[in-house]
Amino acid sequence: MITGGIDIGAKTIKVVLVEEGKILAKSLVPAGLDTDAATNQAVEDALSAANLKKDAVARFIATGTGRKTCPVTDNEVTEVSAAANGAVHVFPNCRTVVDVGAEEGRTIRCNEEGKVIDFAFNEKCAAGAGTFAEGMARALEVSLEELGPMSLRSNEAVPMNAQCAVFAESEVVTLIHNKTPREDIARAVLDAVASRIISMVRKVGFAPDIALIGGVALNPGFIAAMKRGLETEVLVPEEPEYVGALGAALSGI
Amino acid sequence: MIIDQTVEQCRDVLDLMPGEAIARAREKHPGIKGFGVFPVYAPVEIIHAAGLMPVGMFGAGNKVEISHADSRFQSFICSIAKSTLELFLRGDMEDFVGAVFSSICDVARNLSSVVHRNAPNIYVEYLHLPQSRISDATVAYTRMEFERFRKNLSHHLGRPIGNDAIAHSIGLYNKVRRLTRELYQHRKERPGSIAASELYAVVQAGTRIMPEEFIVLLEPFVEAVKQREVHERDCVNVVIEGAFCEQMPLGLIDVIEAAGCQVKDDDLAVGWRLFEDDVSTEGNGTAALADAYLSRTVYTSVRHDGDQPRTEGLVRRMKDAGSEAVIFAPAKFCEPALLDYVMFRQRLEKDNIAHLKVEFEEKMWTFESARTEMETFAESMLFD
Repeated sequence: MITGGIDIGAKTIKVVLVEEGKILAKSLVPAGLDTDAATNQAVEDALSAANLKKDAVARFIATGTGRKTCPVTDNEVTEVSAAANGAVHVFPNCRTVVDVGAEEGRTIRCNEEGKVIDFAFNEKCAAGAGTFAEGMARALEVSLEELGPMSLRSNEAVPMNAQCAVFAESEVVTLIHNKTPREDIARAVLDAVASRIISMVRKVGFAPDIALIGGVALNPGFIAAMKRGLETEVLVPEEPEYVGALGAALSGI
Repeated sequence: MIIDQTVEQCRDVLDLMPGEAIARAREKHPGIKGFGVFPVYAPVEIIHAAGLMPVGMFGAGNKVEISHADSRFQSFICSIAKSTLELFLRGDMEDFVGAVFSSICDVARNLSSVVHRNAPNIYVEYLHLPQSRISDATVAYTRMEFERFRKNLSHHLGRPIGNDAIAHSIGLYNKVRRLTRELYQHRKERPGSIAASELYAVVQAGTRIMPEEFIVLLEPFVEAVKQREVHERDCVNVVIEGAFCEQMPLGLIDVIEAAGCQVKDDDLAVGWRLFEDDVSTEGNGTAALADAYLSRTVYTSVRHDGDQPRTEGLVRRMKDAGSEAVIFAPAKFCEPALLDYVMFRQRLEKDNIAHLKVEFEEKMWTFESARTEMETFAESMLFD
């Protein structure tokens, strides 16, 4: 049976088609302002990549912040359940999932079946989400893709005291004025994001293995900051941004 | 039909500003004035017996923009304190003779003083409710405190508040509480017969309607709910804990049930239905109220009960309701609720009882994050 997972996030829409636990195809489309059109496009792209017609898919399961308004769905599952399900499928020994997207971060403790045991959200705090890193990259006049590798070249840890994205930005500006190397500022920014997330991980209480998923897990500087902060290894899938959609697709079986 | 009409009517009452609630009461009780009752509990019977309308002061929801109160309170103070003060500072309480606060937390204590200083036309009373109910002196002390409340109010109004009048008021409020208990009991036995937000709207409206009229509204409503057809659904049976003072937005209560939970018991507006059975209408009314407060009330987070720990109270409430999980719903910055959360959580985890904490504030209008949390919670319990 083929099932499809549709993860409607704040910035992108991801679709994964699954058969017998194996990924047939996937697609990613920017969410934009017309999320219905973007969702339809993402579904079409995935079907086309798998060379399938829509009726070959037994059911589509929506997840993500836009799951309630998904135009192509037979059912829905929360992004927390989907993340746990997907992460345990990719890493069977994973018991803690850290999912950081554009606008939100969450930590999930789960069992061997991918069932959620406990979870916490990074609520109303932009400093613990991808958009914060993106904004800080703009302030440093580098692309988001460059921010992570740049932070890995840092020679000195610069503490960032602000607890809030708005204040953190002015702190970045001060660091720029103080001629602090951009590499060190980049590391400070990603350390700050990681610090928010790590507080949440400790709140839920983490058990190994820890998997890092979501779009922000593509950032090598953030991965390094998480490892430093947690003082442990973290597992990162090859394409961490698709794990939520994968989990949704698997929940449709 | 009766159910929908009554709920609609009650939601309409909840939308009224305090002065508008008094204006509506004057259609049946010409010239009546209001008396604000800040949560959690105050002996409303004494206020009613004084010829006043007791009105629950549960803040102002999202109907009032806070512009004055922020200059008196810090940013880490709960919303109910700020919006209540805002109502006084804006002049929304002009039809009120006074207001009563009690010793539930530091914020409530300070609020009473701030109102006293900034609203000079309002008679402010502060009830020092006993924190222990096991000491020998507690009974005498509580009777004295309730009597002091009666005497001071009587003195302020310049008219007596007689025993007969208090007994009559106790009788009316007994009936309101009895009908409310029936509704709560019926919901436990036949969950789904009344939605949590419906029950809340009706109970809460009772804090803004004279008991004489509320009984007329409530009696046919209770009967209609008992006759209502119930459609069973697969869901997680929960009790709500922590919303005893500041009240959850109706939208959030709806989200809890829409997300796959079924509320079987709650502590919403618990101060207005605190007694487990009727208060005696015989003898001295203030003494009867004081005795009932000490011996026949449900547990709350704002009173220390050494002999009956609140943690056990919660477990008992869960079992009585036949629920399998607890939704902690403390208001943001609510010290009593958040401090108790630690104890409650520890106790529930001892018995492997599932729980979820969802904080709220008055002006909350989007519930998407709470919805996701609630749905995840329900999914994790329903789908193995």
